[in-house]
Amino acid sequence: MSIRKPIPRFTLFHVWLLGLATVLAAGVVAAGVVFRRGLVVTHLTDLVPWGLWITIDLSSIALSAGAFLLCAAVYLMGLTRFQPVARTATFIGLIGYSMAVLTLLLDIGRPDRFWHALVFWNPHSVLWEITMCVTLYLAVLLLETAPILGQAEWMQRRWPGLATRLTGVHRLAPALAVAGLGLSLLHQSSLGAAYGVLKARPLWYKPDLSVLFTASAVVGGPALTALISMIAARLSPRVHVDDELLDRLAYLIGWGLIIYLYMRFWDALAMSYTYQPGRSEGLGLLTSGPLSFNFWVGEMLLGAAIPIVILLKASLRRNWLLRAAALAMVVGGVIAFRWDTNLAGQLVVLSYLPQDIGVRYTAYVPSLIEVISGAGVIAYGLLALTLGIRYLNVIDHRMPHEAEAVHGARPAPSTTSEQALSSAE
Amino acid sequence: MESQKIGRREFLKGLAAGTVALAGLGVVRRPAPASEETPASSYKWVMVIDQAKCTGCGYCTLACRAHNDVPPDISWNRVIAAGQVGGKKVFLPRPCMHCEHPPCVEVCPVRATYRRADGIVMMDYSRCIGCRYCEVACPYGARAFNWDEFTGPNPAVPTWGQPEVPRRPRGVVEKCSFCFQRIDRGLARGLVPGVDPEATPACVVACPVKARIFGNLNDPDSEVSQLLARSPSYRLREDLGTAPRVYYLPAREETVSTVSSRPAPLARQEVTR
Repeated sequence: MSIRKPIPRFTLFHVWLLGLATVLAAGVVAAGVVFRRGLVVTHLTDLVPWGLWITIDLSSIALSAGAFLLCAAVYLMGLTRFQPVARTATFIGLIGYSMAVLTLLLDIGRPDRFWHALVFWNPHSVLWEITMCVTLYLAVLLLETAPILGQAEWMQRRWPGLATRLTGVHRLAPALAVAGLGLSLLHQSSLGAAYGVLKARPLWYKPDLSVLFTASAVVGGPALTALISMIAARLSPRVHVDDELLDRLAYLIGWGLIIYLYMRFWDALAMSYTYQPGRSEGLGLLTSGPLSFNFWVGEMLLGAAIPIVILLKASLRRNWLLRAAALAMVVGGVIAFRWDTNLAGQLVVLSYLPQDIGVRYTAYVPSLIEVISGAGVIAYGLLALTLGIRYLNVIDHRMPHEAEAVHGARPAPSTTSEQALSSAE
Repeated sequence: MESQKIGRREFLKGLAAGTVALAGLGVVRRPAPASEETPASSYKWVMVIDQAKCTGCGYCTLACRAHNDVPPDISWNRVIAAGQVGGKKVFLPRPCMHCEHPPCVEVCPVRATYRRADGIVMMDYSRCIGCRYCEVACPYGARAFNWDEFTGPNPAVPTWGQPEVPRRPRGVVEKCSFCFQRIDRGLARGLVPGVDPEATPACVVACPVKARIFGNLNDPDSEVSQLLARSPSYRLREDLGTAPRVYYLPAREETVSTVSSRPAPLARQEVTR
């Protein structure tokens, strides 16, 4: 607020950056342990081969869904006023997808063979389709974010030629929006289908799991974008948001939640009729077992019921704190849904013995190495986001109209943050 | 059903080709032919396991470990206690089922697991990326991941046999292969798998009570064909439509009582549960 030039000092911003850097460093060390010693350092087993990392992976992709949705809204549906939000969402999308790729590298037993799916095709495999879609969509996101880098002031000052080229990519925005919509609708649902096609896992085996994954991503992605925009605007004088726009988006998220909850309701209710080995026990884990707190409180109460009320009632929604809390709850609900779905299907071990229709239960608690390396990935995401907001003007709702074709451009996550860092020196 | 599947495959292939062309990646190799498209083989390898005879000694597990160089914490072939019939303990040995419609083959993103024309579900250990999707998809728990590197001597060697295949690296999924190496080498030498021990899976050869029978179901005169024609048999989780190629002859009161129980304390610890 003061007019005099402030002396550089240790601000809350630096504390935040330092904290993230510390977690990131710890994560890098933990990842080193994982790569050197192998997955034996995890608590994953042959009964629960997919755990915390898969949840981070699924959640980052789901919460990146704002990018394709808002780009489609702006460039395909003509809702141009959401363009500045789409720009933010695209940047978040790029970070989210890069987080997913990093987590997958941790999770697969042979990270040196990450490229195999691109060369050895099995079009029958949902996971192959996801790999291809994610790879291609990452390319789309890189192109969509190129103009963000090109528009950065420091970029235009230092490399004006390159900046012009990067900014010029915005001409492709409508085509990229089409590609992004197609690729995203394919793999967002396929992430659910990866579980949903497994007949041996009765809790998962249903077509609507793919629809539920898409529906929850459709509410979670924009919710995260709106939440980050609101918080950043509170904390940084460089961030300029149009609160009316975010208010409108939050309202739409509220309706999206109702649709999602409606589908979840029928999904759960339909499973509760008649006993089916494996499925009934899996549902029991959610409704009354070890995952019940996550399910009832995390997914239903905080993840859906309360935010629906806040986001749809104008008087509540206009309260900054309530709206931010509601959006955070939506984000948390999406993550809880991924965690619960992944685990509930694996903790029930269905017998294949003919005379034994019973089930056994197993358990999974991530190891410290899994937690630290996972936290490192999240810290990387937050760090990239912070630097993007700080140096790439990612959240600016005053973007002039001449930039209207630039809904979502933004640089590659790692290079961006590195360049941002170096330029900040 | 079959045509529907192929329709979906073609659709996905076309879709994939289109999207890849979009990204300008033109260097991608065509996948190997899918299992359904491979020419029919004159062999249809099946295993029959007689639960009335199995004493749960676990020799099969140990022979398997030695011949396939499987680490001690992994069992390609597990012997599971399966209750009692007529006052006698009954066991269920569980190799890979080598399903005709294997869920693992369908889900593998890189075709590291595939089905041979003779029905053996194989692993390409140099291609597997270790995503463990096959493990999640297998209804029989027949797959195991190499969480750690298997180093040092194999405790099952040489007592139970000598390794015939290379040891798998850390980070890939492994499983029973019906000892394809013995079948292939045996056929090349003019032997008959299921009849000549050198051409027959190690677990079948090691079984002291002849509870396991292996052979070609396409040959009506083979022992497996004869046995399955005259005895009631069942397969695991037939409701899933996987069509396993491991058949079980159930232990019934009248059959189990005629078999003397042979304790084999050496390997009893191999029995699960």
